[in-house]
Amino acid sequence: MFDIYKEMWKRRKMIQSLSIQEIKREYAGTLLGFVWGLVNPLMRIAVFWFVFSVGARAGGPVDGAPYFAWLAIGMVAWFLLNDGFRLTQKSFRSKRSIIKNTPFPIAILPAVQILFSYYIHLILLAVVFLLTALSLQTVSLYNLQLLYYDFAAVMLLLGIGSMTAPLVAVSKDFGRFLDTILVFLFWMTPIFWSADNLGMYDWIIKLNPFHYIVQGYRDSFFYETGFWEQPVYTFYFWILVLIFFLLGNYLHKRMKPIFLDTL
Amino acid sequence: MDIAVSVKDITKKYSLYKDPWGPIKEVATRKKLHKDFFALLGVTLDFPKGESIGILGKNGSGKSTLLKIITGITEPTSGKVDVQGSIVFLDVSSGIDSELSGYDNIFMKGTLLGYTKQDMLTKIDDIIEFSELGEFIGQPVKNYSSGMKAKLGFAISVNVDPDILIVDEALAVGDASFQKKCMAKMNDFKLQGKTIIFVSHDNHAIESFCSKAAWIHQGELITYGDAKFVGSMYGEFMSGRKPIESILAEIQYEHAINQVAYATKENGFSLQITGILRNQQRKNVHERFQLAIRDDRTGETIMENLSSANQGFTVDFSEKEFPLFFKPGKFSFWLHEELAEEKEVEFSIWAGNAAISEPPSSGYDRFRYHFNVQQNNLQLAIENIEKVEQQVNRIWIEDELLHIDGIAFVRGYETKSPDDLAMKFYLTELNTFKRHAFPVTISETEEITENPAYNPQGKVYNFSRFQVAIDLRQLEIGSFESHLSYIMEKEPQHQLLNLVWASKASEYPAEPYSASAYTAHIQTANKYLRLEKRAKL
Repeated sequence: MFDIYKEMWKRRKMIQSLSIQEIKREYAGTLLGFVWGLVNPLMRIAVFWFVFSVGARAGGPVDGAPYFAWLAIGMVAWFLLNDGFRLTQKSFRSKRSIIKNTPFPIAILPAVQILFSYYIHLILLAVVFLLTALSLQTVSLYNLQLLYYDFAAVMLLLGIGSMTAPLVAVSKDFGRFLDTILVFLFWMTPIFWSADNLGMYDWIIKLNPFHYIVQGYRDSFFYETGFWEQPVYTFYFWILVLIFFLLGNYLHKRMKPIFLDTL
Repeated sequence: MDIAVSVKDITKKYSLYKDPWGPIKEVATRKKLHKDFFALLGVTLDFPKGESIGILGKNGSGKSTLLKIITGITEPTSGKVDVQGSIVFLDVSSGIDSELSGYDNIFMKGTLLGYTKQDMLTKIDDIIEFSELGEFIGQPVKNYSSGMKAKLGFAISVNVDPDILIVDEALAVGDASFQKKCMAKMNDFKLQGKTIIFVSHDNHAIESFCSKAAWIHQGELITYGDAKFVGSMYGEFMSGRKPIESILAEIQYEHAINQVAYATKENGFSLQITGILRNQQRKNVHERFQLAIRDDRTGETIMENLSSANQGFTVDFSEKEFPLFFKPGKFSFWLHEELAEEKEVEFSIWAGNAAISEPPSSGYDRFRYHFNVQQNNLQLAIENIEKVEQQVNRIWIEDELLHIDGIAFVRGYETKSPDDLAMKFYLTELNTFKRHAFPVTISETEEITENPAYNPQGKVYNFSRFQVAIDLRQLEIGSFESHLSYIMEKEPQHQLLNLVWASKASEYPAEPYSASAYTAHIQTANKYLRLEKRAKL
């Protein structure tokens, strides 16, 4: 039932070195290298802050946290989810030449992309962490929870990626569909607006597992709330991840013979 | 014998859809909307350890699909593959990322092949040296020439030390010295008892490098065995000399000519051939077959049924039954089987050990008959005993009568009276090989006798002019070639038969002759006289 994940665990060293090579590849030929991995998200955070806070005058503090910092932390979590989601769904299609020509355990490819996104994420996280720690004194034991939420995010992405990658490999249309979904998710996940604004309907937003991660990040920085303090939501999240894992394994097995021929 | 790779009854089916919505419609309507394409069909092969095995086949024959199934890149629709040992699939571009440097690519490909960084660090110097890239190794691969890329790919593949190396047409790139180096490296592999699977559409490369070869055609295994044998079969197929059915039959049956005996008696030339023809169960199958003799120039073919004799077959041909078939030219021998639906199979019969018995001269020899065996095939060459000098001086058509006026003589054979010689003129239709004979009028001319260029010895060739009149109305529609038979009525009484030589194009009608129902065309483009009668539309 978990064959592809066992394979990933068995090949974790291979995943590790492939993701390092992926970073090399990503920044090959640039002089500044991974600095670009930092500049782009920081710029986007700044733009969103400007638009919402200065332009739309909607940037009041959220439950006591300054809007800019609140937005930045949410965005950091979101960038991981966004990149992981985007890259894993294409992980078979973008590595077509390897799949077609090299005998290779292709089930690990989504994991490679997730690890790659995670490395980029770590750099951004370190920078933002430092900035908020210095300017807002956000350092607390609750920061350690980030490890848990990172783990949760990686597991969620692994489940989603294992499901979407084989489907996208079979059908390009599905890839387009997912790109559209991602845009939808971006606006529907409370990243620059607070879920509290919805009042009694916030449970709809909470169904979105991405919200669990984004909210968890903010809890770890500003609200000193542990994940164990919302056991139902945590339970829901992990059940969902388990379902994604099972579906991912099934879809991979089912689609592999098809996309090996048609890719 | 240890088996490195065993392939059992592999079938690979692709579904081809014309409509891009086809797969979805198919699910919805439960109708079959695709065409099945079998890239491989029931292929069973064992690759023994420590040998180099070639896989031959033209483009699109399924050989690459087979490789992909062996390496696990593609999954077969049905069948089983069993691989003992590690495989490296050497094809020039695989696993090379053009953005990364050559150096990084070595690690990249190493990782893909399942080696750790430490493993690769021990090999890296060998790889860089073998690749001959020198300082370029630090440059991005996108700046490499295709030859440099190939060198890098090859260097990585051979230096990671696989148990089984699969080479897919890779040696076509790279310069001669690098190719040589690759060959040397692969020979090392062979000596180390490693298995090499070498895929190519070039039978010469495979014959020279491999000990065994398999030939795949349209997804099916045609034959598997000695590389030279398979290579030569494939070569004959690819050059278009033999269709695939013939090769299949040739492989399927055990066939040989054991003995060839011939004689010339008063009723002409006769030939007896004995041999064997049996299937893989060693049962005689010759009742289904005929022996065919073919005139290699015109394609005219005669056939006789095989009859049983002495654990094999025997077959007789005689000139009486096939008049004017055995004439100067070259002839080949084939086994011929009629299949259903007007199909036929033909293959040349093996004659590597044929015993040819020369008959004692009988005095009836019209021609010189000479049998020989070339590339294990029997050939018969027939030659005139003497040379006839001939020329057509004039051709004209009048009242649907074709007149041919020419001269013919044999040096040294004097013709002082009209009784000294006789001639006959033949037209042979080139599709049906139906023959027409026409009487020849011989008359006196001094053209040869008085011409010192032809007659330096001052002999008498007075009766050397021939005239033929052909009634075009009596010929069927078709294309004809012409023969002239020259018959000496005195000693040495030779009978000579030649195509009619006509090289004075200006003396022949250039325009087609037009009658009410047909047109007649005189053709002498290749200097031999041909006549074509075409129906008017």
